[in-house]
Parts: sequence; C-alpha cells; structure tokens
Amino acid sequence: MIKKMGGIVCLMILWAAVCTAQVWQAPDQEQAKERAKEVVPFVKEYQDDCRISRRICLMDAGVSLDDVKEVYFLLDNPIIKQREDHYEPVRFAHKRHAALVNDCSKCHHFRPKDENALETTRCSACHQDSFNPDHPERIGLKAAFHQQCMECHQEEAKGPVDCTGCHLPHVPDHKELVKLPDKPDPIQVTKACLECHDTQGEDMLKTAHWLWRGPSPYTTGHRKDILHGKGTTALNNF
Amino acid sequence: MAHKAGPMNRPLWTPGVLVMLVFMFAGALAIIARFTGGIGYVTNLTHARPWGIWVGIDVATGVALAAGGFTTAALAHIFGRHYYEPVTRPALLTAVLGYTFVVIGLLVDIGRSWAIWKPMFNWNLNSVLFEVAMCVMIYLTVLYIEFLPIVAEQFKGRMNLPGILSKLNSLVDTILQIADRILGKVMWIFIILGVVLSCMHQSSLGSLMLVAPTKLHPLWYTPILPLLFLTSAIAVGYPMVVFETTLATSAFKLDSEMHILAPLTRFTIYLLGAYMVLKIGDMLVRGTWVYLLEGTTQTNAFIVEVLFGVMLPWAMLLFQRVRQSAKGLFFAAALIVGGVVLNRINVFIVGFKPPLSENGYFPAVSEILVTLGLIATLMFIYRVTVTWLPVLQASKEVRS
Amino acid sequence: MQITRRHFFRFMGAAGASVAVRPASAHAWQTKAPPDPFGCLVDLTRCVGCRKCEEACAEVNGLPEPERVNCQCTIFEKNRRPDETAFTVINRYYTGKVDAFDKPVPTYAKVQCMHCQDPVCVSACIVGALTKEDTGAVRYDVTKCIGCRYCMVACPFEIPAYEYFDPVTPRVMKCTFCQERIKETGGLPGCAAICPTETITFGRRETLLAVAKKRLKENPGIYIQHVYGEKEVGGTAWMYISSVPFETVNLPELPDAPAPKLSETIQHSLFSYLWFPVLLFGVLGAFMARCNKGDHKATSPDKGGA
Repeated sequence: MIKKMGGIVCLMILWAAVCTAQVWQAPDQEQAKERAKEVVPFVKEYQDDCRISRRICLMDAGVSLDDVKEVYFLLDNPIIKQREDHYEPVRFAHKRHAALVNDCSKCHHFRPKDENALETTRCSACHQDSFNPDHPERIGLKAAFHQQCMECHQEEAKGPVDCTGCHLPHVPDHKELVKLPDKPDPIQVTKACLECHDTQGEDMLKTAHWLWRGPSPYTTGHRKDILHGKGTTALNNF
Repeated sequence: MAHKAGPMNRPLWTPGVLVMLVFMFAGALAIIARFTGGIGYVTNLTHARPWGIWVGIDVATGVALAAGGFTTAALAHIFGRHYYEPVTRPALLTAVLGYTFVVIGLLVDIGRSWAIWKPMFNWNLNSVLFEVAMCVMIYLTVLYIEFLPIVAEQFKGRMNLPGILSKLNSLVDTILQIADRILGKVMWIFIILGVVLSCMHQSSLGSLMLVAPTKLHPLWYTPILPLLFLTSAIAVGYPMVVFETTLATSAFKLDSEMHILAPLTRFTIYLLGAYMVLKIGDMLVRGTWVYLLEGTTQTNAFIVEVLFGVMLPWAMLLFQRVRQSAKGLFFAAALIVGGVVLNRINVFIVGFKPPLSENGYFPAVSEILVTLGLIATLMFIYRVTVTWLPVLQASKEVRS
Repeated sequence: MQITRRHFFRFMGAAGASVAVRPASAHAWQTKAPPDPFGCLVDLTRCVGCRKCEEACAEVNGLPEPERVNCQCTIFEKNRRPDETAFTVINRYYTGKVDAFDKPVPTYAKVQCMHCQDPVCVSACIVGALTKEDTGAVRYDVTKCIGCRYCMVACPFEIPAYEYFDPVTPRVMKCTFCQERIKETGGLPGCAAICPTETITFGRRETLLAVAKKRLKENPGIYIQHVYGEKEVGGTAWMYISSVPFETVNLPELPDAPAPKLSETIQHSLFSYLWFPVLLFGVLGAFMARCNKGDHKATSPDKGGA
C-alpha cells in the first residue's frame, strides 16, 4: 500500500534546489529587479516586415553579441503582476540565448514604425496589458513571453516547456511543513513526502520508474525476460 | 336508456389491493430516500441525461393516458353523443387521478419541490414548459370542478362526518348544495375549457423536445412532433377507456359494457388512422426511413412502436369480429395504449441521446419503485373512489 | 347539460372579438441577442494544457480546487465534462497530428458554457431563471429556479450540471462568464486573466470575430478555415479556432439556426394573445350549442360529470 515512492527523489532534489535558491542570490539580481520594474511607453504602430527583411535590417544595423550588455533579465514586469501572478519571475539568460540562437530576428520579430527607435526594442514596448481593445490582435506581455519561449523550446526540442522548468513556484518553506527525526532513513523521508504529495506518489506507480521489469529488447543482450526491476526484485524504498 | 352510476359497495381489501399496498410502501421508502439523499441518491440521472422515467413515464405518459377524460367529454357533451355518457365518469376519474399524479410525480422529480409555485409569478412566455405547466395547473382545477358534482351527488343531504367534525355537517352540505346548483349552470364552460386546455398541453408536450434537435433521434425529432403528440393523445383516449373499463368491469364482475365500447372504437379507426398517416407520412417526407434498418436500440424501439402500437391494432379494429369480441377489443386497445406509452418513453428516454457525453441510461431500482409506487397509489385511489362514489355504471340489480 | 342559447351567444361575441384583435399574422421570429456583447476567442493551437484556467475558475467562483491541480500526469487519461464542481475543464485529444519526429501532438480543448447569442436554455427555462445579460453572459438566478432541469435537456453543448445530491436546494451549475467581474470596466473572466498563452482572448464579440478571421487568413496552412461559434446555433459568445477538425475535440457539428427558433415560432404563432385557444373554444362552443339544441331536458339528470 505504501508502495508509492521511488521517483520522489526528484522532488527531494527540487526541494534542495529551492533551499539553496533562498540562500544564494545572483550578484546582479538587484540591478535586474530594478530594470524589470521599468515600464516603457506603448508602441502603437510597428513595421510589418517579413522575417528576412528583419534579418537584413538587423545585420545592416550591425547588431552583434557584443551589443548585449545585460547577461540576464528578470521577467518581472508590473504589467504582468497587475493581473494574475502565481509564479516567481523567470530569470531569462538573454546573452546565452542570443549566442545559442544567433538570430536576433527570432525574438525581435518586428520593429516600431518610428525611424529613431531601436532595432531591438524590448518585448514590453509592444506587448503590454492583454486584451487592449484598440489593438485586439496584439497579445499581452505574459502571453508573448510564453508563446515565444515555449514555441521555440518545442521546435528546437530544447529547454523546458513545463511551468516549473522556468518559474520557481511560490514554494512554501518545507522546513516548517515537514517534521523529520534526526538522521532520518530513506523510508521516513519518502513517507514524509507522501503525506502531502500523494497524487504524485500514485502517478509514480504508473511510470516506467516503478513498473520497469528488467531487461527489454533495448537493453544489452536484447533479452525480453523479466528478471529484475522495480516491479520485481530491484531495491525499493518501499 | 338513462344510465345510472352508483357506488360499488364491494369489500375493499382484496389480495390485489394488498399487492398495491406493498408497492405503495416501497415507493414511499424510495421517495423518503429522494428527499433525504437527493435525486442523485435514488436515480441514475446524469448531467447529460437530466430527465429519466419520472418525466418520461410519470409525467408524459400520465398526461397522454389521461386523454380519455377530454376525448369522451368532447364526444358525449360537446358533440352530443349522449349514448356514450356512461363512460365519461370513469374516464373523468382517470383524468383527475392521472393529472393529480402527474403533479405528484413532478414534485418528486423537480429539484426544488417547495418552489413549484414559482412559475405562477415568474412567467417566461417563450418557454414551452411554462405553457405546459400553466395548462396542467388550470386543467387540474377544471377536472376537480368537473368531478365535484359526483361528490355532491353522493353526499348532498346526507353529510355525516364522525365525532367532532359532525358540527361541520350542515356547513359542508350547504357548500355542496350551492356548488351543485351553480356548477350545473356553468359546467359547459368547464367542459369546453377542459378540451381546449388538453389540446394545448397535449401538443406542447411534444414541442418540449423541439429545443433539442441534436439530442433526439431523427426518427422522432420532427417539426410536427406537437401534432403527433396531440393526435396520438386523441387516438389513445377511447382505447384507454376500453382498457380501463374492461379491467374495472372484470374486477367488479359487472356487465362488460360492450354495447358502448364496441361503437366507441369505431371512432378510433379514424383517429388512430389519422395519427398513423401523419407518423408514417412524416417519416417518408423527411426520409428518416433510412435509419430503420440500423438495428440500434433506437430504431428497434421505433419499429416496435409503429408496428405493434399503431399499425397492428389499427388493422385489428377494421374487423367487426374483433370489435364485437370483448377479448379482441381489449387486446387491440391494450396495444394502442402500449404504443402510446412506448412513444412517450421513446421520445423522452430511448430516443434522447446526448452526443457529447452520453453513457447510456437505465433507471435505478429505487427510481422504478417510485414510479411503480405512484401507479399503485393511483390504482388504489381509483379503487377506493369507485367503491364509495357513483362513478361506474352500477351492477345489474340497480339497473332497471 | 344546461346550456342556453343566450349564454352561448353572449360568449361567442366575446370570443369573436378576441379573434378579431389578434395580429394579422404571427410576426417572424427575431433574435434577442444583446447589441454588443463580450465574448472570448479560444485558439486551440495556443493551449498547452496547463489547466490554470480550471484553477482560476474554481477560485473566482468559490468551487472546490480542481482535481490534481499541480499534476498533469494522468488527469488527461479520462475525458472530463464540466460538472457541479467545475465550470470549465481542459481535455486532451490525440487527433492524428504528428510533429517533425512523428510523435503524436496533443490538442487541448477547453470546455465551458458557450454563452449562446440566442440561448436555448434561456428560452426553455420555465421561470426565466436563466437570462442573457447585456454583457453577453447567460446568467442563472437561483432564487427563481424550480429545478425542472429543462435547461439541461435543451443545451446543445450539454453544459448545465446539477447538484443531484442536494435533496432540498440543488442548483444548476454552469460557467458564469464571471458576469460580476466583466461588467466592471476592464474586468476579465478568471480563466482569460490567468491564461499564460492567451489561448483565451477576451473582448467584444465583433472584435474577436475580426481577430479570428485575420488569424485564419494570415495562417491558412495552420488553421481550419472556420470560426466555431460564429454561426453555430445562431452564434455563441465563446468562439473557437483550431488546427484540427472541431468534431475531433468534442465540439459538435450543429445547425446554424438559433436553437429556440422552431419552438418559439410554433408557440407564438399558436398562442400569442391566446388567439388559437379562444378560437377553438368558440368553435367547440358552437358545436356544443348545435348538437345539444333542444335536448337539454333529456340530459338534465346528469349534472356535469363530464
């Protein structure tokens, strides 16, 4: 009945990550926070260029990796916060993405119509509050982030596409929630996790992590016989 | 020959009545369960299937089978065929009881039974159900008014309440006297009103399903559904009278009344024929006969309904030999009644298939017990009423 | 039967008068949709199945927390419907679409009340407990409801749910379009406000229709060229666009005719000003007078007892 655990190890790692995150802070976090608070004037009209002319534009302007001053941005704009905000802001490694993608037009897909505007205007200049009746086709900032990030991550099969892959959720301090004896054994730890995370425990039972039954056609020897595995003989916490 | 109806004055507690009491008791328990645990506790209803047998049988079928009341009244009183007056009283009693139990069935079925009065003050004139509700409410009142003279006839001048209530004797008697005198003069209004109200809500019961074109099977969903409901109700009126009169006369060992019932069913040939032409014509015009051989529950139910509930009994009635034999007539009448019952069940239950989330429906045991309990109670009250009130044509000794 | 000719003629006069004043012909059915309602456009190509809308909906409407709110692992294994504890649910469908690696791509579809332009539930409701508001919301007023569940019979989207296990005061439960929020300036429905990808676009229905058509036109290879809800059952306030056929994500194929049109036309052409019942009463009265002429003495012992 308590045969639930196993992959809860993942949760423990996550927990560990949360704990460390509270202790460590990036040196330029304060600066990023300040920058995130800025709200720039709304760009009403944009240049409706195609992707190729955008790339030529950006090349003509001579934008290169060296122009990326900020290493990362904290995506924590007040525009998003004034609606619903259930998650911690995302730390977006701008320079890293710029280097990896090597095509600014991928994100900077349009430019303001104003001749004097920057080629690489920030997202929140065009994408602000959702459902602006004057610009119904323009998506809001939150959706712009999600669509841009997730679409690309999916296309490239790289980078997270789930919520907590980018956001740290508002995780309560588990030091207060979990009471464990000194030097707990693995079974005690798993039990404590299952106190609250019982659905995850149930789901775990349906995954290969739990049901794996030894060698398969894809393992060495290509034998199909069931000798070992979590479902049979392999060691479990439970 | 002026007929004379009289109380039966037979022993009430026969074995059959005791069986009814058992069903009444079981039904009462199920109703108690419904009002403590909720509708979901005793029924198999779901969000996709909000109406089950309580609406399909207790209400829709109940209303259809009570049609004997207005059809005989129209024949005997409006069209002046006084020959048929002996059957008007039992038919009226069936209608009174039928509609009373329609209302009781509704009280069990609707979620907020205590709010049943609200339609009187919150009118939605676009709602078919609103019209049905208003008609049923007024018609039930009309039926009670039509029935009052029968009560007056029995108790006028001989009110004899027991014990402390005896003080009320003279008062009740005076009321009965006055009611009887006034009603005698204005009864014609109520008789016509009864027919008009019946035509309105019998047809509108069919309109109820017109709001759900994607849910009701195309074999039944037709714009003329209200017309089919009206014609089938009119067609089932006399067969229902035959059905119940035969049952009552054989239960009380009275004259079989064949001399009235046999000519009565001659009208049924035309009425049922009209319904049959409409029903089959509608199928041909809309081309829904393509579904007939699909072999699903729906199509089979439709075939049974039309073949055995309409065509076979209609063909039977064409033969004078069938009309003249008590057994043949009863069998044909029972088929017609069964056909209309099946039609109502088909329209409200079998043919109703919500396409998105239907998981099938079969009534729960407790759901069936409520329906059976209500039917048993209805029959019990019918029995009690004919025992004490002058409804049925009294037995041979009374007749001259 | 004691019907006298005098009685009868007096009545027939009244009946004739009422027939005369009835409108020349039953007027044609007209839509009762509000002039400029709000709506929502659901773009199924954008939905990632995070179910935040379910969570927000429950919070806004005081419903229990959705099943497995933080865990998407197994919830999609069963096809769910909105019920008395959830006004909206997301379902996952594998429609045969595959990605570049031949992996099946899921399509997520949100289900909630469509807030029809001419809602058949509003037409059906016996007491008018359901109303179409100017905002576009189909509102339920529990104080009028009697629990007949005819709205549930009528709804082509099978949306209204019922509190079957409440014995005395059950309610019909369905999406409210967050009526109380959207009637304030700038107010958003809970689900639209939280949606991270703007799958749900909130705005005036006319605007949304234009947005939808623009998206279809600009991405012809991606979308099915149809705005679901533009015309279905006379139009709905909630509309869908999708890259997979709508019937594969349980959005049923429906006729364009407004669902209440047929029954309302029949009702009003027969019963407006009660002209038909009154006429029928008159005709039957005429028969009664004719057929019973002179023989009321013969039947006088039979008082009433129809």
